[in-house]
Amino acid sequence: MNDNILVLEGVNKHFPLNSFRMRGKVVHAMDDVSFSLRRGEVLAIVGESGSGKTTTANVISRIYKQTSGRVAFEGRELSGTMSRKEELKHHKRVQMIFQDPFGALNPTRTVGGIMERPFIIHKIAKDKRSVAEKVYNILIQVGLEPPEQFTRKFPHELSGGQRQRVNIARAFSIEPELILADEPTSMLDVSNRMSIMNMMLNLKERHGVSFIYITHDLAGARYMSDRIIVMYAGMIMEIGPAEEIINSSFHPYTKLLKSAAPAPETGLKRKPLITGGDIPSLIDPPSGCRFHPRCPFAGESCSLEIPPMKKIGEDHYARCLL
Amino acid sequence: MIELDRSQMTPLLQCKDLVAGYRIKSGFVHAVDDVSFDLDRGGFLGIAGESGCGKSTLAYAIMRLLKDNAIIESGSLIFKGIDLVKLNEEQMKKIRWVDISMAFQSAMNALNPVLSVGEQLIDAIHAHREASQSNARDRAIEVLKLVDIPRDRFDSYPHQLSGGMKQRVMIAMALILNPELIIMDEPTTALDVVVQRTIIEKIQELRKTLGFSVIFITHDLSLLVEISDTLAIMYAGKIVEYGSSESLFNSPLHPYTKGLMNSFPSLTGRIKRMGGIEGKPPDLLKPPDGCRFHPRCPLAMPICRESCPSLEEIADRHSVACFLHKGAEAQ
Repeated sequence: MNDNILVLEGVNKHFPLNSFRMRGKVVHAMDDVSFSLRRGEVLAIVGESGSGKTTTANVISRIYKQTSGRVAFEGRELSGTMSRKEELKHHKRVQMIFQDPFGALNPTRTVGGIMERPFIIHKIAKDKRSVAEKVYNILIQVGLEPPEQFTRKFPHELSGGQRQRVNIARAFSIEPELILADEPTSMLDVSNRMSIMNMMLNLKERHGVSFIYITHDLAGARYMSDRIIVMYAGMIMEIGPAEEIINSSFHPYTKLLKSAAPAPETGLKRKPLITGGDIPSLIDPPSGCRFHPRCPFAGESCSLEIPPMKKIGEDHYARCLL
Repeated sequence: MIELDRSQMTPLLQCKDLVAGYRIKSGFVHAVDDVSFDLDRGGFLGIAGESGCGKSTLAYAIMRLLKDNAIIESGSLIFKGIDLVKLNEEQMKKIRWVDISMAFQSAMNALNPVLSVGEQLIDAIHAHREASQSNARDRAIEVLKLVDIPRDRFDSYPHQLSGGMKQRVMIAMALILNPELIIMDEPTTALDVVVQRTIIEKIQELRKTLGFSVIFITHDLSLLVEISDTLAIMYAGKIVEYGSSESLFNSPLHPYTKGLMNSFPSLTGRIKRMGGIEGKPPDLLKPPDGCRFHPRCPLAMPICRESCPSLEEIADRHSVACFLHKGAEAQ
C-alpha cells in the first residue's frame, strides 16, 4: 500500500537488565506492536506511563533500535545497521518534539543558534542569509514575533509556552515528512495548551506532514487526531478512528481510561471507576492478556493466551477475547 | 430542630482580605492580594489558576509555612474562632498538622528517602503528641490501611513505592492526627489519569467517613469542577470568580474563567476549535493598572484599565470581579 508512510509489524523492544539479581531478564517495553500510519494523518498514541508509547516513538526515530520486528518508513526497512549517512537522512525526515520544553533546548545557545543547528547538520541552506530567512519565517509561523528579537534570546528568558514553540519551530523547520510529538503539552500551563495544540494542527496542514501525537490525555487525543492507539504495558490494546475509540470503545482498558478522564460536560456526578490497581511489572508481565489482573471481565482463558487483534468494525481493532 | 449547633453555622475557615507576598531585591511581589473566602465544615473548596497566580502561596500562608522572605502583610485567617495570622510559632505548632495538615505536590520529594514509610508516619505522631511507640505504630498502620496500603508496605522505603502509592502515603501522613482541614496542593498532578481518579475517589470516600474539609489546589479545572463544591478562580493574586462549581461550570461570568473553561477539549461532546487564553500572566512586581486581566481580556473596556473591580456577589453563591457584570447587579 502506497499511502502508508510508516509501517510497524510485530515490533518488540526489550531492554536487558544488567544487575546481578536480574541478569538475563529483560524489560518488555514494546511487544508485538503493529500499526501503519497513513500519509498526512494524525495518529495519537494514548496510555499511562510505562505503557511503551515513548519507546514506540524512539524506535521510529531510531533513538533505539527494535529488538525484533519490522519497521518500514516510506517503503524502506529500518532494521539492522544503517550507515551514518542513512541515519542522518532518516533524522531529517523524522523529527521529534519532546515533552520537556526546558530540557530540550541547549541553555548556552541563543534561540537563533538553536534554530540554525538543523540546517547546518543536514546541510540544507546555501548561505547564512537564507538560513536566517528560513528561521525567521518559521518563528513567525509559531507566533514568536518579532523573530529578530527572539533569535537573540536564550532559553531561560522564555516562558514554558514560548520554549515549546521554539521546539515545535525547530521540528518543522527542515520540512520533515513525519513528526513525533511526545506529550508536547503536558508540562505547559492550561491556558497555553489549546493554542499550542491548534498551532501544531495548523502547521501540520500547511506543511503536509504526518503526525504521531503521544499523550495520556484522551480528550486531547480526540481533539488532535484521526485515529487513536491505546497502549497498555507495552502492547496495543485497541486501535481505531478517534470518534469510535471514545464513543464505542471496546477494550475494558480503553473504557477504564475513559471513565477516569475528567468529562465535566457529561454531568458533575461521576460513576465510580470499574477497577483500580496499577500497571504490571514489565519484567515479568502477566501471562496472557496483560490487562487481565485488573480486568473486571477477565475469564479463565484471558490468563492463558495473549489475545490476537480482533476486528471490531471498519478500521477498528482490539486485543481482547470478549 | 430549630436549635442549630453554633459551631456548624460558622465556617471552619474564614479568610478575610488576606495580603501576602515576597520581599525581593527589586520590590514586593503581591502573590496573594486581598483574598477572601469562607470554607464550611466538611466543605470542598477548589482553587484553580495558572502557575504564578498565587494559589500555592495562599496554601502556605494558611499553614503559616511561608518562606523566610515572605510575609502576611494584612488580613486575617479565622480558623475555629482563632486568627492564625496573629499566632506565634509556638502556638501555631499546636494547630499545624493537628488541626490543619497538608498534602504536598511532589510526593517523590516530600517524603524522606532514608526513612521507611512507617517511621515517617510515627515521627509525625511523636512530633505533636505524647504517644507510646506501640500506639503510634498502631495508628500508622491504621491510616495506611485507610488509604489502601497493605501492612507489609509499612517498612518499605519511598523509592520502593509507585508514584500513586507515595501520593497515598502523603495523604495518610496528612490524616494521621485526624485534622479538620487538609490542604492539598496539586496532589495528583504528576500522576496518570487512572491513578489520579482512584486517589480522588479515596479522598472523597475518606472525607465522607471522617468529615474533614479540603482545600484542593490545581491548575486542572476540568478535574476540579467535578470534585469540588465551591470553586475559586485565581488570577495574578486575586480571586476573580467564586461560587458553587455547578454555577461556575454552567455559567462562568469572568472572561478569564470562560477562557479556562475553553482550555480543555471535551471528551464526549462535539469537537469544536477551542482557543485557550492568549498572552501570559502579568509580572506581579509591577501588575498592570486596573483589572489585572485586562491586557489579555478580549472584552476589556476603558474602565478596566483604570480601576480594579471588586469581588461582588451577583447571584446566590456566585461572585465575580468584573465590570462587565456590574450593570447586571444594579438592575
